[in-house]
Amino acid sequence: MSYTELTVWTRGIIMDKEGRDIVNSISAAARLEGKFAQAMENYVDNPDRTNAPTRKYCRVSDGVIENALTYENDHPNIVVLVEETMVKGWDYMRGMPSGGTLVINTHYTPEYMIRFVPGPERLAQLVCVDAAHLADHKWLYYRLAELGLDRLSTEGAAERNKAIAPDIAAPLIAAVVKTTGIVKVETIEPMIANKKAFQMALDELHIMPLNPVAA
Amino acid sequence: MSTKGTRIPDRLMITFAGITPAPSQEKGQDLFPTGNWRAIRPVYRDKLPPCNNACGTNEKIQGYLDLVKRGKYLDAYALIKEDMPFPSVTGRVCYHPCEQACNRGQYDEAISIRAVERFLGDLGQALARDVVKAGVLNGKKIAVVGSGPAGHSAAYQLARLGYKVTILEKSPKAGGLNRGGIPDWVLPQHVLDREIERLVEMGVTIKTNVEVGKDVNWDDLKKNYDACVLAVGLIEPNSARAEGEDKEGVHFGLPFLRDIGMGTSKVKLGARVAVIGGGNTAIDCAREALRQGAVEVTMITVESKPDEMPCVSEDLHDMLEEGVELLHGRAMTAVLGNGRVEALHLHPARFSGAINASPININREAAPERFAVDNVIIAVGQRASLGWLPDEFKNERGTVKIDKFGRLGDTNFFAAGDVVQLGTGQPLMVVNAVGDGKRVAFNLDKVLRGEPLQPRSVPVDVIFDLNRMNMTYFPHFPRVQQAMLPSASRRRTQEEVIQAFSEEQAVEEASRCFSCGTCNACDNCYLVCPEPCIVRPERSNGMYKILVNYCKGCRVCIEECPTGCLEGVPELDFDTGVTRMDTAFAVTPGLHGRQAEQLRHLADQPAKDI
Repeated sequence: MSYTELTVWTRGIIMDKEGRDIVNSISAAARLEGKFAQAMENYVDNPDRTNAPTRKYCRVSDGVIENALTYENDHPNIVVLVEETMVKGWDYMRGMPSGGTLVINTHYTPEYMIRFVPGPERLAQLVCVDAAHLADHKWLYYRLAELGLDRLSTEGAAERNKAIAPDIAAPLIAAVVKTTGIVKVETIEPMIANKKAFQMALDELHIMPLNPVAA
Repeated sequence: MSTKGTRIPDRLMITFAGITPAPSQEKGQDLFPTGNWRAIRPVYRDKLPPCNNACGTNEKIQGYLDLVKRGKYLDAYALIKEDMPFPSVTGRVCYHPCEQACNRGQYDEAISIRAVERFLGDLGQALARDVVKAGVLNGKKIAVVGSGPAGHSAAYQLARLGYKVTILEKSPKAGGLNRGGIPDWVLPQHVLDREIERLVEMGVTIKTNVEVGKDVNWDDLKKNYDACVLAVGLIEPNSARAEGEDKEGVHFGLPFLRDIGMGTSKVKLGARVAVIGGGNTAIDCAREALRQGAVEVTMITVESKPDEMPCVSEDLHDMLEEGVELLHGRAMTAVLGNGRVEALHLHPARFSGAINASPININREAAPERFAVDNVIIAVGQRASLGWLPDEFKNERGTVKIDKFGRLGDTNFFAAGDVVQLGTGQPLMVVNAVGDGKRVAFNLDKVLRGEPLQPRSVPVDVIFDLNRMNMTYFPHFPRVQQAMLPSASRRRTQEEVIQAFSEEQAVEEASRCFSCGTCNACDNCYLVCPEPCIVRPERSNGMYKILVNYCKGCRVCIEECPTGCLEGVPELDFDTGVTRMDTAFAVTPGLHGRQAEQLRHLADQPAKDI
């Protein structure tokens, strides 16, 4: 029986919706496939602080998930970093069993990013996707370091909330789905608003294979 | 009631996940390092200001202006003396490329750098002992041929490095072009004498009336000295290629000024004087002619308008103020007169090409214009006199052939100053010669110590420009003007035309400096940081430190840095100094994790005393 945990690390307020879109759409797609799934956000992290590190969780299982009252993933199989500089500083690899997957939104190569990853020996693959570039989202997230940090908070979020993954979440979902097979691409694609970025990302992933999964 | 000795069940003492000490508690803030919220990291990185880059000898201009601003005049003088042996001279005569490059010039008016330099130079002249000492003697002897700007600079730097330097000067007085090419009303003789005195105080021997090629030759220099710097300059005046230049009453620019400077002049000028040429020497000649008794001075140039003249526009302006007439677009083709000049023949002409030794198109078809004069001064450039130099070291420009380090082949001979710079496109100015002498001195030192020579290169990207600074902090403020003698009275006197800055004026002018790209310890970053993460050991000393564990990368300090020396560098460019944030959230797995395990095993543990 397969049981997969997915943890998304994102930045409070400015990238909150991206993290939420990833966990929500993947768990919804899993339910469509007849699996059992949960998705939740973490309020311990206090996500209403701009730029604060914030986690979102998703669990997908073939059987009933008995753990219904715990809001954190202790052993994530898949970790997604929505912003590239999050690769430094937090032990986002904590509790990951061997054979895990790390997905980073960055324009750097996996060879460059691997130096920052704590405990890379647990990874089966490191996936880098230039999601901001693929989603062509210039004004908000593209090259955060160059543009400076956005201070718009959640203004305009109501408009953006009407669509699921209109922005950089789409390529990240594509990266997760394609490299791990947590759900099928056909199931999740109809939900994604930015289909163009989703399709481009399927072809433009930088995958660095590491330790093969122990049988 | 004391709780001492009371037994409390351990499960009541277990901290709950996510509950952490408040920041106000002791060490509470250590649990919340917010540095990893940061996508870019502010970094202090000083860049090269444009004035420093433009200066012929790369004086640390921003540095000494900052010191003057803070009232540390002696430190400023010591800083300027690192690159410039005679700030009192260049403070008067320099054509100030620094002021042309000054970023403030694009904003309101450039800093009057030269005036501040003169203030510091005069301060240094008044000192009983100079701040610069000669180095510990290393036993090597060096000859410097020529005591002009380049030779003076090379001898000064070599003396600082510990060499025994001998200057060979052909004139009866040392100073070279500083004495012979610059009139007294720009640079008084006593100022230059004092600077040469300083050089002698450093242990430099100056032998006057020694001419290379006559009193010493190439082999003598090779035999008697470990190395030699040739800074012989350009001493032969160019001819204007006109007929009858040998007539009485025809003078050449540089010898005319040199004889007046050396005090050996026997020239008596008539009422009407023509000056041929449009360069700086021609301007000095025209202004000197007024002071030597001429009533009507006309400058005849090939250039068709004043902007095209290869001269410093300020001097041109001052000259016109003194009443010199300009006659453009003419070339002198003949000097008329019976033994003595009576008139000139002028033809329309056009100047084409570079400043030095370029062809002049003269329209000889046109009818010649007769121009009546009593004297004519020809100032159309100079050339080197290198009869004593072995042919292998001469080049087609008529100057010394050197490699890019100023060295003649594999010999221990180096050349500097106008004698190598003629025709290279570099302006033949005092400060360029000084810089040349300085670089050659350092290269010579490396050669004698057997070290490899490194080509000098300035990375262009570090030179700062205006739009990378925060102009909000700089109100418009006019330049402090140097007082000048009234034009009517200065025509007849050898008094200095431009007056010195007072101390207040110098400080006021130095305070206008933007300090482009270089930290000047303004404390602004310290004040604007919203987190207490910029620290300084003491007020305004520039030793700021950023606590990267707490810096959130908000960019406020970068945006607000007036000088632009703070840069935002992408956090991922650093693979050192990674902060691992150990907050309560990040390390505690939660009540259901590790602590739940502890709770389960609680019964097995012995109770603790508190």
